Amino acid sequence: MQKYQKLFLIILATFMLILLTACGSSSTSTNSGGQSETSIEDETSGEVIQAKIGVISYLSGAGAAYGEAITQGLKLAQKEINEKGEVNIELVIEDSAGEAEQAVNAGQKLMADDSILAIIGPTLSTEFFAVAPEADLNGITIMGTSTTADGIPEIGDYVFRNSIPEALAIPAAMEKAVKRTGAKKVAIIYGNDDAFTKAGFEVMKRTAEEMGLEITTIETYQKGQSDYKAQLTKIKNTNPDLVLASALYNEGAVIIDQARKMGITVPFVGGNGFNSPQVIEIAGDAANGLIVGTPYFGDSTDPKIVEFNKKYEEEYGKKPDQFAAQAYDALYIYADALKRAGTGEDRDAFRDALAETKDFEGILGLFSFNEVGDVVMDVTVVEIKDGKFVEFEE
Amino acid sequence: MLGELLNPYYLQVLCFILINIMLALSIYVPLSSGQLSLGSAGFMGIGAYTSALLTIHYELPLYVTILVGALLAGVIGIIVGIPSLRLTGVYLAIATLGFGEVIRVLFVNWESLTKGSVGLTGIPQLGRELLKFAKSIGIEPSALGLKNNQFVYLSLVIVLLIIVLFILWFVIRQQNSRIGRAYSSIQMDEKAAESMGINITYYKVLAFAQGAFIAGLAGALFAHTIGYISPSDFSYHRAVEILIFTVFGGSEVIIGSVFGATILTLLPEVLRFVSDYRYIFYGIMLVILMAVRPQGILDLYLFYRLKGKRIKRGTS
Amino acid sequence: MLIEQLINGITLGSIYAIVALGFTLVFGVLGIINMAHGEIFMVGAFIGVLTTSVLGWPLWLAFLASIVVTSLLGYLLEIFSLRPLRGKKGVSHLAPLISTIGVSIFLENLSHHMFGAGNKPFRTAFAEIRFEIGSITIYLVQITIFVISVILMVGLSVWLSKTKAGKALRATAENLETASILGVDTKKIITLTVIIASGMGGIAGILVGMAFNSVSPQMGLSMGLKGLAIIILGGMGNVKGAMVGGLILGLSETLLVAYGDSGYRDAIAFIMIILILLIRPQGIFGSKTAEGR
Repeated sequence: MQKYQKLFLIILATFMLILLTACGSSSTSTNSGGQSETSIEDETSGEVIQAKIGVISYLSGAGAAYGEAITQGLKLAQKEINEKGEVNIELVIEDSAGEAEQAVNAGQKLMADDSILAIIGPTLSTEFFAVAPEADLNGITIMGTSTTADGIPEIGDYVFRNSIPEALAIPAAMEKAVKRTGAKKVAIIYGNDDAFTKAGFEVMKRTAEEMGLEITTIETYQKGQSDYKAQLTKIKNTNPDLVLASALYNEGAVIIDQARKMGITVPFVGGNGFNSPQVIEIAGDAANGLIVGTPYFGDSTDPKIVEFNKKYEEEYGKKPDQFAAQAYDALYIYADALKRAGTGEDRDAFRDALAETKDFEGILGLFSFNEVGDVVMDVTVVEIKDGKFVEFEE
Repeated sequence: MLGELLNPYYLQVLCFILINIMLALSIYVPLSSGQLSLGSAGFMGIGAYTSALLTIHYELPLYVTILVGALLAGVIGIIVGIPSLRLTGVYLAIATLGFGEVIRVLFVNWESLTKGSVGLTGIPQLGRELLKFAKSIGIEPSALGLKNNQFVYLSLVIVLLIIVLFILWFVIRQQNSRIGRAYSSIQMDEKAAESMGINITYYKVLAFAQGAFIAGLAGALFAHTIGYISPSDFSYHRAVEILIFTVFGGSEVIIGSVFGATILTLLPEVLRFVSDYRYIFYGIMLVILMAVRPQGILDLYLFYRLKGKRIKRGTS
Repeated sequence: MLIEQLINGITLGSIYAIVALGFTLVFGVLGIINMAHGEIFMVGAFIGVLTTSVLGWPLWLAFLASIVVTSLLGYLLEIFSLRPLRGKKGVSHLAPLISTIGVSIFLENLSHHMFGAGNKPFRTAFAEIRFEIGSITIYLVQITIFVISVILMVGLSVWLSKTKAGKALRATAENLETASILGVDTKKIITLTVIIASGMGGIAGILVGMAFNSVSPQMGLSMGLKGLAIIILGGMGNVKGAMVGGLILGLSETLLVAYGDSGYRDAIAFIMIILILLIRPQGIFGSKTAEGR
């Protein structure tokens, strides 16, 4: 008995040792660059500002498609920014696998590295809620590019986002849709086990109540289901004038496809997460009549977006979605703040410069932060017509 | 060197290792009485939500809420454990897995209490509460040569380590007591154990409830370590992950759980550089492990060989 | 509305039933829960997408390709993750469970890399054929799914009870050692079982792809869990039980959505198995008592 315990303790101690050495060896050089603080004069004299930006992204697991789009958008922006030569950004990308626990680990790893100036990500709101308070306490700027849930920028002074919250996107789309169709009755379907779609649903419900619309039924679905027919049959029988769907495009496209097959012909209104060229790819003609509010309109004739599409397709062989576009803009916003901060080493100076971002001209339009670090920008409402996204006409 | 080691990243990973050790033990204990329970994720969720809600709404001290969370999980463990007595082997495994899923769906749908899938934010972090406490009694981290942040995580690790060591001590003591011998006799042959006058019902439910209690405790501590919980933290994936900790390390010996949880928590961190492919590796590794060492990395035989003794397999 | 919902429920239930047949066959013979079955089903669906959408093959060829690939996967599963564990000393009943979980993790993540994480459309002209009776629309796919599931169930029952191979399989299921003494090539029988079960997973995969027009790497998990619940519901290793259990689950999920709260849809399968385990642990059609292995 005694021996057993002793042996046990020895082994436990060995583990701890192995653990510590394993961690020790994996630590990266913390003293990169080694420059003294560059002052504002340096910027005007044309010296390149070096900065390391940490990225936490959902790269393996069920939602890896979103993380992939985001990192591709970031990498494209990084390449362009570095080519211009004013700032030189290095991205340190960590995977979060969509789990809060791993996102926190990745976050701690980045925060503990003193050479990292600021963080972009993580991808999901559920991950962001776990990482952001930690970043705020550590005094490192963190910006979400795909986190649209309520209450994110309110976490703290160092917490920002450039993804348009559903609270802006959905009401804009709903108002325009109701105005044109004269809808009075709406049905809602949403994913209730996902923070993103749940937050979108709450906005929908609130907006519908404010607009005096009658909600015929509220239906939910869960991740991993591919059969939405039961919910849709129920919706069909309540004869709504509009279907409000708070869904990510992957599920959303399947929902709209099954709905059309079932004979639901009324328009669908969705949020920013429903906006993706993939919807047309997955649902085909069934996607016609989808109305979404979004900062990003992929088929816009705006030369900036046309150019972005071209470059992205050259680089990755597919069309960008708004996750890629938002990430692309995010890095440009960071680069812009870097230029104004004049240094890539001072986390606080960077935060202050970032907070002052006003009327930044990105591919998504004019962008500013409000006092809490949330997005101020115009929403474009688009719809799918004849298999293409077009700007919504009243 | 010390400053380097007190990097919050390492300490954070260490916290998760310690919590995962507890979770692995929550499977080990029922398993030592022959019951394969996959409900740990569910019990963990019960502990986490109970403690988090109590601190958020009633501002009770953490040591009270964590204990209440663990106790509630334990009580529910008894309630679930009694009818589960009729089930053995894979039936019990699937029923408990199902229990975990039902709990998760409940968290998703009970929105007035749990805020659904959005999850609970702003859960007091144990380390920071300890910092507040330390400051209130006049201990400044700087006096110990630590930054605030280092103090937060160091104190958290110490608290978790003490709890883990206590649980380990308790389980090891128990194994060598009357209860432990009853467990292992039930594991080996339930009918024989019964005929020898062992109260099967009592011991099986006890083992099941102990597992639930440990899982609940780990869940409550998890909530106060990470500061944010949502139902997806307690899904099927978690249940399987916990099972793999125990089985990978070796389900015959308690040290196996410790070993499995440690290695498998570290692995994704160490494999970050191949992050794209790590789960593929993970899958292959499990298959190979089962083919080569189905009893897990560590087993009794290895143990006794280490000690220079040879005994027959099958006694525990 | 009720009739439409019943059709939805039967379609879903038939798919569940086919998935569960694969589970129940492997469990019946080997006493193993094959946790990778859901992922094999998912791969089958992807093969369907690849052959029809990308390569433009006709549907029957896609079916064939899918069955071939999933059968092959079943063979590999048997060779690499099940056979090494069999007959080995000191192997607990946990080992095959973990080993097949390993395979499922591997397959799911491999699919992420090969096919991407998103949903893939499954478009065939066949899936568009429909009949309209009054306000009710029935797709030919829905009828096909039901018919295929019945054929598979009946075929499997007949095969098991009438043919020599089927009898050998049942003998193996009854007692591996005795069967082997009596001259049954148990190794071959077991391999055959896993292959047939996996091939059925492939069929189910294509049917789901056609019926719901959506294929993604994650679809295996939820289907696998449901399949697991169904075999408990119907009775482990029981072919008829798998069919009836599948239909019961499909219908109750659909009716729950129609008349209750769709939020609890994923829980109903497990609430049902918890209840059945407490009332009748051997399942609806099970004859033996629930003995663990």
